[in-house]
Amino acid sequence: MTPNGAFAVGFVLIALAASNPGPRGLALLGALVLAFALIELRGATVIALRRAAVVVLPLAVFMGLVWVGFVGKAPYQIASATAGTRDAALAYVATLSGRLFLIVVVAQLVVLRFRALTPLQLIRALALPASAKRVLVVTLSLIATLRHAIDRAHTALIAAGTLTRAASLRNLLHGWRLMQAVWLSAITIMLGRMRDKWPVENTIARLDRALASGEARPFAGADRIWLPVVLGAGLLILLADRVGGAP
Amino acid sequence: MAGRALISGPNFSGRSAALMGLLRDGALAPESFYIGPYSEAALSGLTSTIADEIDIYRATTAPRTPRPAFSPLDFSAVGRREPQTLSGGEQVLLALHCFSLSGYGALAIDTALEQLDRANRAAALDYLDPRNETIEAVALIDNRLVPPLAGWRATERAADPAAFACDPRRPVAALSRREAPAIEIRGLCFGYRRGTDIFRAVDLTLQGGTAYRLAGPNGAGKTTLLKLLVGVLAPGAGEIRLGGERYRPWRSGNRAIALATQNPDHQWCGATLRDDLDRRRAAFAGHVPAEALSDARIATLAAALGIASLDAHLYELPLAARKRLSWYWPLSGALPWVMLDEPSLGQDMATRERLAAAIGDLTARGYGVLFVTHDDDFADRIPHRALAIGGMQVKAT
Repeated sequence: MTPNGAFAVGFVLIALAASNPGPRGLALLGALVLAFALIELRGATVIALRRAAVVVLPLAVFMGLVWVGFVGKAPYQIASATAGTRDAALAYVATLSGRLFLIVVVAQLVVLRFRALTPLQLIRALALPASAKRVLVVTLSLIATLRHAIDRAHTALIAAGTLTRAASLRNLLHGWRLMQAVWLSAITIMLGRMRDKWPVENTIARLDRALASGEARPFAGADRIWLPVVLGAGLLILLADRVGGAP
Repeated sequence: MAGRALISGPNFSGRSAALMGLLRDGALAPESFYIGPYSEAALSGLTSTIADEIDIYRATTAPRTPRPAFSPLDFSAVGRREPQTLSGGEQVLLALHCFSLSGYGALAIDTALEQLDRANRAAALDYLDPRNETIEAVALIDNRLVPPLAGWRATERAADPAAFACDPRRPVAALSRREAPAIEIRGLCFGYRRGTDIFRAVDLTLQGGTAYRLAGPNGAGKTTLLKLLVGVLAPGAGEIRLGGERYRPWRSGNRAIALATQNPDHQWCGATLRDDLDRRRAAFAGHVPAEALSDARIATLAAALGIASLDAHLYELPLAARKRLSWYWPLSGALPWVMLDEPSLGQDMATRERLAAAIGDLTARGYGVLFVTHDDDFADRIPHRALAIGGMQVKAT
């Protein structure tokens, strides 16, 4: 499977999860995602499931507290001004959480499918225009710069006694100072590169050459199986709750 | 013989500007590789793994003269790590490695080799030697190289004596005596990742009124030890005692150690010196006598370090001036222990001598000092005890 194929499959799966499928459609979509995961990733499926659970579970608990605990009815019951039930609210939260879970799982699966590649290798393998690839690399670079700036600012404020590494009242009172220190750090890092390193070396041109080297195949191998399967299954998922009456 | 230029002279003599002029005019080669003083000017910043950093620079076409790779470290073993997780010296080695694989004809280095340990520095200078004709040209600024050097064309630049005049001895001479409590480290263990320990069961006692030099190869964990002592990192096991009392700065906050970081921009808490000072004053209120950190006192200290106003914008100062100003907190006498990470980096001989004298004076006044440096000449000017780091241990030598 190529990265292009995996991203295309991922895009279709996420679009299906976002299309508000009913219970049958959601079950079908879950089965499709699981099949894709087990065939393409095998053992790494567990990592994707675990990461998605870490992201979605707290959100699901929060939504459960709000909709089931406090509101006591589903949003569509509020909109139609009918009597609400906690069961309906629970079904609403479960469906929404299930869709979110699938979206996060799919995103994880696509990335994990190419975990043997470095970020640059992955972007290089994508059949995208050079400018789009450059935007992806620079976006990742900005994220890394912000993380580096956070580390720097954190170091500065802890060493200066303003914050502590462990949770503390001091962190609550002075945590906002981290923001200013982070932005100043990020700007300094970026300026350092853009003023001296990049113009002297013509670094961005180097990046373009590095991204252009190698062949980016649009779709090949297993892509030609997965794409029709996913598109066909997608049609079924969209129709599943519209035929045969309510489940 | 390939071109080699050593741009020498004191700080603020325009060495960096001269180097940039050479690069922008294409005087060294049509395209040159540049390694600046710290990571933001040494690495491309475009990649999130070491393997990708190398990949960007790897020549896509064979260079005119095949060049041997400069590989003092096995970067393939750490290819998945983020370049920023390397130590300062290792980042310079990575940059040199990238250059060696690239098609650039020339290389310009602004004081970055000062971050290398003795062996790596010797290897780097050997690689840049004029006999290595696979490199067309090298332009180098290095405060520890004294011309003449065989095969190198030296350009001596004149100082501007009025610019950021610095004498750290004066503020230290004004400090009163204090007794720094001993720091005892028992059974300290630490690793950034499971299974890759940096320290294992380290036992170490640091006495007040003494200067300790922490030495070791690039990437051995010198900065990591300083970060553990100020509470930026928490040990996996073991304990630290300060004056006989249990000391856990990662929980309770740093209350005893004034740290000057290797890259001065890793220590600022605000945009101006006054912002930075205000935040430190707020953090240490009740722990440090207010008069020790009064505006007047710190303004005098900053002036001695070459900065005329508390309202100076830190990030608008030249790097060498920021580095000097980064000593203000340790030299303020606010805290009994002073830790300096590569304090002499980027500093000319005269400033290094004055700083060494100031550190010696600090210990004579009862302060404890732990400093990290690869600069033997600088360290030899400070009466000190040597600590060697390596093999997951820190030992007195």
